[in-house]
Amino acid sequence: MLPLNESFFGALQQKGVNRRRFMKFCAAMTATLALPPRYVAQVASALEKTRKPVLVWLQFQDCAGNSEAILRSSNPPVLDVVLDLLSWEYHEIVMAGAGHQAEAALNRVVKEEKGKYLAVVEGSIPLADDGVYCTVAGKTALSIAKEVCSNAAATIAAGACAWYGGLVAASPNPTGAVGISEAVPEAKVINLGGCPQNPANTAAVLVHYLTFGELPAVDQYNRPLFAYGRVIHDQCERRAHYDAGRYTQEWGDEGHRKGWCLYKMGCKGPQATFNCPSVRFNDGTSWPVKAGHGCVGCGGYNFWETKSPFYERLPNVPGFGVDVSAGKIGIGITAAVAGATVVHGIASAVRDRMRTTPGPEKP
Amino acid sequence: MGSLAPGQHAWSEAHRPYPSTLPVRTYVWELPVRVSHWLIVLAIGVLAFTGYYMHDPFIVAKSSTSFLMAKMRFIHLVAGSVFISAFLLRMYWFFVGNDWSSWRSFWPIKKRQWRGMGNMVAYYSFLKKDLVHHVGHNALAAVTYLLMFTFMLIEIITGLTLYTHVRGSWLLGWLFRWIPGVIDIQYLRLAHFCIMFTFFAFVIHHVYSAVLVSWEERNGLIESIFTGYKFIPRHELEEDSDQVK
Repeated sequence: MLPLNESFFGALQQKGVNRRRFMKFCAAMTATLALPPRYVAQVASALEKTRKPVLVWLQFQDCAGNSEAILRSSNPPVLDVVLDLLSWEYHEIVMAGAGHQAEAALNRVVKEEKGKYLAVVEGSIPLADDGVYCTVAGKTALSIAKEVCSNAAATIAAGACAWYGGLVAASPNPTGAVGISEAVPEAKVINLGGCPQNPANTAAVLVHYLTFGELPAVDQYNRPLFAYGRVIHDQCERRAHYDAGRYTQEWGDEGHRKGWCLYKMGCKGPQATFNCPSVRFNDGTSWPVKAGHGCVGCGGYNFWETKSPFYERLPNVPGFGVDVSAGKIGIGITAAVAGATVVHGIASAVRDRMRTTPGPEKP
Repeated sequence: MGSLAPGQHAWSEAHRPYPSTLPVRTYVWELPVRVSHWLIVLAIGVLAFTGYYMHDPFIVAKSSTSFLMAKMRFIHLVAGSVFISAFLLRMYWFFVGNDWSSWRSFWPIKKRQWRGMGNMVAYYSFLKKDLVHHVGHNALAAVTYLLMFTFMLIEIITGLTLYTHVRGSWLLGWLFRWIPGVIDIQYLRLAHFCIMFTFFAFVIHHVYSAVLVSWEERNGLIESIFTGYKFIPRHELEEDSDQVK
């Protein structure tokens, strides 16, 4: 482990990352943060001078997908930069220490760096049955999160589960899973929704914190606006096909092969807000819609419930079977009213004929 | 006309120039009522067609320059503006219009209105042979319209919320951007779509019952939504004005 007081840029030079690569990283981060290019110099000088803050990465009820996303960077220098931005003291999936040693490292950070370190949380926290469904080193996820997150300078909720419980909290939510904001209300949390979250956005949040000394501007869900401020549909490379009226009708049909819009396949791009089309995943290689699959809106709140079914335009109507779409119900109701009207009309005509008392005077 | 005997009223039967059953040409539906009615009909027709296309693009364009969806959305937004304007005009007329278009005639707040509703239900379900005549809306129709106005308002609110999701001014944003935080945008979309079918069902029922009641009352009801005039027997008109007071 590098000494804590060593500067970030010094650590990078030790690893053989040259100035040019460093500047490319700063430019990429500035662009991801939606800042004008003149901020590149400010970002670079701030990162050069910064004393690496300590970071601990907690994993609770998760699939390690967010850790994988940040570790599976295909471009090693960028991975180095992201990993070396901070001094990672605790991360179960990558740390060398184990057992008591690992716990001692976490305890040391909480005590010695109190109020100065950053915490990243991945996975949901179970509250049901006193939180027995997730324990680490004999302590419940809730007690660990309370101790670590309430003493941190800031907490980053990485991915859908840490934000609001994600897949684990989807109905019927047997473990009573919640996100970090609900479990530890006193923690200062920024939510990075997504399943997984995009490591470029995580890095950008850290860079913003190191450059400006504060977390970036957020929306009503405490998600950074630079990443969640725009609708996917408005940035999508297939948008021109949408406006032109050219749609994939079936998987593998002509439209699908030609890269037409996936709107009719249930793409949730028009609902979802995320920066996938511009930042993309795996070092800018691709993202779901580019790869030919509709967006499922994974960056949105409670998307497992609200954006499902993933291959239909609209949610199912409660009380009807999963095969019955809202359109079928609507057409059924309209047809029933039309039928009832015809029957009523015939009956009214019969009544008019059968009237024994004189009805309205006929002209 | 000679002098009246003591206690004899000018309108009493003996002094009427013609029988009370003869119809009087009465201006029932004022111009803003008729204009908003037909603008809403037109707008809902256009909105339903373009809206259904936006839900399920049943025409897939072969050309890359047809901009079919873009045009449908443009027409939908323009028709939506017309719809909102017509709706607001009608809401305004609730407060300045005549007794038959006033908001008071829609809310079932009087015993008489509940009785009228019972009469209409009995008539529609063949429990009663004859229809009680009304100058304006009957109480049951009025409550149905109130429900439809509510649905229209929900369509306007959900529509503007979906609009502010992609576009819109600071004012629209301030008014509607908070809604998707309470109800997910997918459920707003579902409501916006499903309510369209209540309009379809309502139009079928509305046209049918207008024809049926027009046939029963024989007072030019169908024509009145074009001209504004109904032909009401004098005694009905007098009863109606008594009830409104």
